[in-house]
Amino acid sequence: MGLTVTTKKIKQRNKIVDKITQIALLMPTILAASFVLLIIIFISERGVAPFLESQYGDLSVDLIRFLLGNEWYISPNVYGVFFIIINTLYVVFLSAVIAIPISILTALFIAKMTSKTISNFFQIVIELLAAIPSIVFGVFGLGVITNVVKKIAALFQMQTAGGISTLTTIFVLAIMIMPTITLLSITAIKAVRKDLEQNSLALGATKMQTLFKITLVDAKSGIFAGIILGVGRSLGEATAVSMVAGNAGTGPNFNLFGTTRTLTSTMLLGIKETTGLDYDIRFSVGIILVVLIIVINLLLNFAKKKIGRFS
Amino acid sequence: MKSKRYVKDKLTQLLISLVSLVGLIILVAVFFYVFSNGSSLLSWNLITGDYNSNVFNGYYSTEITTNDFAAPSSLSDEEYFSTRWGISFMDDEDTEGHHIIMITYVDIDSPLANIPDKNDETATISISSGQKLMTVRFSDNTMLLPSNGAEKANQLFDTKTSIADIMVSTSGKGIRGSLITTLYLVIMTLVIALPIGVFTAIYLHEFAPKKNKFVNVLRRLIEMLTGVPSIIFGLLGAAVFIPIVSSLTGADTGNLISGSLTLAVIILPVIISSTEETLKTIPDEYRQASLALGANRNQTTFKIILKSAIPGILSAVLLSVGRIIGESAALIYAIGTSIKDEIIITERSTSLAVHIWSVMSGEVPNFELACAISIIILIVVLVLNLSVKFIVRKIAY
Repeated sequence: MGLTVTTKKIKQRNKIVDKITQIALLMPTILAASFVLLIIIFISERGVAPFLESQYGDLSVDLIRFLLGNEWYISPNVYGVFFIIINTLYVVFLSAVIAIPISILTALFIAKMTSKTISNFFQIVIELLAAIPSIVFGVFGLGVITNVVKKIAALFQMQTAGGISTLTTIFVLAIMIMPTITLLSITAIKAVRKDLEQNSLALGATKMQTLFKITLVDAKSGIFAGIILGVGRSLGEATAVSMVAGNAGTGPNFNLFGTTRTLTSTMLLGIKETTGLDYDIRFSVGIILVVLIIVINLLLNFAKKKIGRFS
Repeated sequence: MKSKRYVKDKLTQLLISLVSLVGLIILVAVFFYVFSNGSSLLSWNLITGDYNSNVFNGYYSTEITTNDFAAPSSLSDEEYFSTRWGISFMDDEDTEGHHIIMITYVDIDSPLANIPDKNDETATISISSGQKLMTVRFSDNTMLLPSNGAEKANQLFDTKTSIADIMVSTSGKGIRGSLITTLYLVIMTLVIALPIGVFTAIYLHEFAPKKNKFVNVLRRLIEMLTGVPSIIFGLLGAAVFIPIVSSLTGADTGNLISGSLTLAVIILPVIISSTEETLKTIPDEYRQASLALGANRNQTTFKIILKSAIPGILSAVLLSVGRIIGESAALIYAIGTSIKDEIIITERSTSLAVHIWSVMSGEVPNFELACAISIIILIVVLVLNLSVKFIVRKIAY
């Protein structure tokens, strides 16, 4: 009789302890989840301020001119972000065009075409590339890629501002997103069912035909996920891009050898004070950046679903 | 027909192999560039030295007429040794390209090794190798300037008998301050993020009610953090953490605390997902066995499960350290870009990565220094990543 009472007591106590632990652990979870909301609320608050007369009076920025303008900063309060959005999309698109084929072929090589040792070695190479911080790529871009671009420009008898150009930015971005796309593609390719490939080979297709027409087709959804991640990364990449973009004052600029300006380089370069219009407007650019990332993500995810359907 | 197909197949294979070399070439190029430009500058002096140069001002009034000092055997052809003062000079250029005279050697018995300070009668200063000679006025009012060159300097020192005024400066441009800042940031960030991250992962995997809408929303919000670019976290730091820290500590600018808070948010998703992945690999029998023995879920989680999750948490920590050391964009907003020697956690300072940003975004980018710091960052980040690979493999087998 006494034993049952104690067991009951222990059980009851355990229940209470567990409930308290559960609630205690819920707190950090809510905290961790709240940061996204904090980002949205406070960046919106600071980013909207420049357009409010209640905040900046006569100096408040004209929202329409901000969204559609093609000049970044005419004193005292004209900021135009339209050409920056176009430049950003242009640079990101071309860097993806360069990085995607290289990444997919590299992933094929690592996942399917070589011995285990070589495959492991190349996998580590790509992982290390993925781990190199943005600032180091910035130094590399400014020290090496500018020189490469200068030589390319000379071939076409064009001038660059010391190698700082749209093309340099594209190259730097391509290098930075290549590892991301490659690593996800490797996972996708490795997940393709063996019997699909074996069937293809048994039907007389060559190894390459099988890889391109069976393996890649079956892995495309996973590869596309890698591309989405890579494009997201290149849209938000700031430090390295700022070092080689040149921050052109007007645009849009489609000339590969001219300087460019991206949303992130606009936010990062030329911070002089940490208050005032010129600082707060960077938060407005931040809002544009976040919106752009969300829109492109949605579009790409939509495209991914479409592609996935017709396989 | 078949052979044509065979050739085409082989050509494609060759092409793919060549393309996959691109990654390797880039990695080698980055390392080669960074090491070849930075290794000459990377030295103990750089790592332990101050960034700002200090100026010393002293004099030596006792007359010296003998030329007794012997030149050290290590003296190179470019160095000029004064046998009267036991000091040697060399021509050099500073990072801005100005001509300077470096002091390359001072004999331990040299009178200059310990001379009275002009600004403080009770103090003494010591002139030592590695310092720059700025100006010297000898007692007969002959002036010596850096533009005179090392040879002329040596001539004057060998003939003049006392010094009315000598100014030297330490070379500066060291990275000690940024190195210490980086360590501070790593420790403070982990102290903040690790408990929040690990507890969140435990809640989500061990305690959260299954198929609960609220929990799902929390999970989605946390997942969204991974897609946020680091510069946006910087804005969060500037808009939220700097004001909070300012109101608590009275700091008036970005500071190390606001920087650590920002970094903590950046690494949170890494810690949460990595911990949760490890929790998933722990077999349910562990939990059942512990519960069957009468332990409650609290004891089960913190005494049994958490212990088994340590390798996973450790690899999350190592990855996070790499991320903290490499982070630049967020810190430019959350702390600022002014390089400091005295590190105070409520004031500005730069991590190594932001130090690179500072020296590269000036009028004249300093590639050598940027590469030297990059070497340190690269080595640390690569060692961390390889150890994570090692740990993960240990878990897997």
